[in-house]
Amino acid sequence: MSRAALRCSACGSSNIVEDALYCQAQQVCVDCGSVVSEDALSSESVYVGGSDVSYSRTTAGAKKPCMNLIIGVQRVISICRILRVNSEIEKLTQIYYREAYQHESFIRVSLRKKEHLVGCCLLLSCRLLNWPISMATISSLLDADPMVMGMLYIEMVKILNIEAPIVNITDVMEAHSHDYQISSLHAPEELSESHKDLTKRAVELVELSADTWIVTGRRPIPIMMAAIYLSWQSLKPNKHRLKLSLEKFCQLAKVNKHKPAIKRITEMKEMLCKLGQEIPWVREAVTPDNVVKHVEDILKHRHALLRRALRAQEDALLAERQASCEDLPIKEDADNHQLHGETLKSQDPEPNWGKRVLFAPPCVVQAKKSRVEQPELTDVTGDEEISDSEIDAYIRTPQEVREFALSQKMLE
Amino acid sequence: MYHCCAACIFNLKKSTHTPFGAMTPGMSIFSPMMPYGSGLTPQPVQNTNSLAILEEQQRQQQQQQAQQANAGLPGTSGQTPQLYHSQAVAGSTTTALPGNTPLYGTPLTPMTPVTPATPASESSGIVPQLQNIVSTVNLGCKLDLKTIALRARNAEYNPKRFAAVIMRIREPRTTALIFSSGKMVCTGAKSEEQSRLAARKYARVVQKLGFPAKFLDFKIQNMVGSCDVKFPIRLEGLVLTHQQFSSYEPELFPGLIYRMIKPRIVLLIFVSGKVVLTGAKVRAEIYEAFENIYPILKGFRKTT
Repeated sequence: MSRAALRCSACGSSNIVEDALYCQAQQVCVDCGSVVSEDALSSESVYVGGSDVSYSRTTAGAKKPCMNLIIGVQRVISICRILRVNSEIEKLTQIYYREAYQHESFIRVSLRKKEHLVGCCLLLSCRLLNWPISMATISSLLDADPMVMGMLYIEMVKILNIEAPIVNITDVMEAHSHDYQISSLHAPEELSESHKDLTKRAVELVELSADTWIVTGRRPIPIMMAAIYLSWQSLKPNKHRLKLSLEKFCQLAKVNKHKPAIKRITEMKEMLCKLGQEIPWVREAVTPDNVVKHVEDILKHRHALLRRALRAQEDALLAERQASCEDLPIKEDADNHQLHGETLKSQDPEPNWGKRVLFAPPCVVQAKKSRVEQPELTDVTGDEEISDSEIDAYIRTPQEVREFALSQKMLE
Repeated sequence: MYHCCAACIFNLKKSTHTPFGAMTPGMSIFSPMMPYGSGLTPQPVQNTNSLAILEEQQRQQQQQQAQQANAGLPGTSGQTPQLYHSQAVAGSTTTALPGNTPLYGTPLTPMTPVTPATPASESSGIVPQLQNIVSTVNLGCKLDLKTIALRARNAEYNPKRFAAVIMRIREPRTTALIFSSGKMVCTGAKSEEQSRLAARKYARVVQKLGFPAKFLDFKIQNMVGSCDVKFPIRLEGLVLTHQQFSSYEPELFPGLIYRMIKPRIVLLIFVSGKVVLTGAKVRAEIYEAFENIYPILKGFRKTT
């Protein structure tokens, strides 16, 4: 209602002013003082609370549709449009959202959690309809903690009893690489790279990393970042690009750097070195410093190089075993004492199987030193006598009790 | 049909075989005709607790074999089933024992590729170690937590944070949560007997503090075990083939969460080959769960 059109119903004057009575804005007629119209007591928030009396206590026949559900569905639609998913996904997400919202486990959760539910339903439908998207993307869109959203997603999937396939990291790679603004439009000529080339090489690098145990169990985004960085460097391995650190690269591409990406880069470079060593035409030693210029060759012939590296490893192990077998009869002639000492030295207290194979998950190769196990009480029956002295050791003397009580009083 | 291991089936090495004691009495229906990953027990080998049942099954086996021999089915040597299984599941390490037909029939029977591997494999030889036991006991009387916190050396009580006294003893190294209702939770023990001994010690401490504590309804609520299979595991492959049981979200947690139905155990499987088993009420459930999962994990062992 426009101000000009307002007329006091009591006296007919159009002299209406806005008067705020505490938190309630009112339109009051100046001439006669009657209140023409009132605003709501509180500003209209995103989620409308509905009426004061719940439907179950009223005598109403028809249940009004829950406002929060309607708003939630609108949010679903808007997020789908932002992400530009296809209409099937949009429809499926709405269906899942309605189902989840009205389920007894979710009907009474907080509004914030219901917002997270929007993201979870979207993630579920994207996975079912083969639209690669990561949890991190959706949670950053909703400004939610990815862990919280993730746990809600797992709960929801269990409740709705749906099996959704996991997202393949190589599928998400293309969407992820579009984040990086290093095409020729955004970056100087020397440092720019087309998305197609970058994605292609990064996907190959990620596949190779997956084969060599770098990907399993790890968060995908730092891996993708490391792959894109190395691919970008290797597409034109000149001095300029090789000198640029990951931090500077992220600044150039205008993405947020992920700290684990540095470790992934190191692991990928180590893996590439192991394969690079098998290239027949490379004479120099392949080290993490100079491996980037060989990345193109390594990726092109990765299957052959993998086979060669594995075979070389097997031969090395065989030779080692033969050598130790040959050594033993010679050692038996030697002093017993000497033999014992030597075998002790050659064996680790716990042989780490990760060090004996060519590629192993990094958590195995760099196994943290486990705590020394306490000597097991194997012959405990559970019904032993409990000595009084042992129990008395856990009880304070009266003197201690007094002192403790005093100190507590003083602390308060 | 249950077998502790192939050794039992074919009546080999009886002396070295150790059946797992005190098994869960309820038997699930395991039939080779069930579709792969049907939702009950993962294949292929389950445990049993009764030698009599074993022998009965062995007898059934032999009858079956005799029938097949009579039917004149060719190629019932060790070779054919290996071929069939390796077609059914990639990467499985089938080692059929010579001179014995496998349990699950020959390739000529119209069977869905159900049992993924190794009907004739031995038991894993790895025993999960128990890491934590959670038990509860009712001391049978109301307790004044303030008094306990005041008079016991090893107690901490912060009512604003948590409404229970946290008490610790050194031997066995455990922690107890003691509530004012008289109920107590004891955690940290490495075996059932240790948990019971620890709970008794806590009850004795509470007794000495002047409360008429008893020791009622001691019950083990949860047991956690862990072990290492010593080879890396392709978690992405495992979640693809065992989708109904597995949940693998690398963005959230590095391990795969496998919810086994029988026994009802949750396993955390990591790429390093380490496996954590939890949710057991008795030790045997942990052993059984591990023996169930081991052949499946072996199927995902890759040599790269």
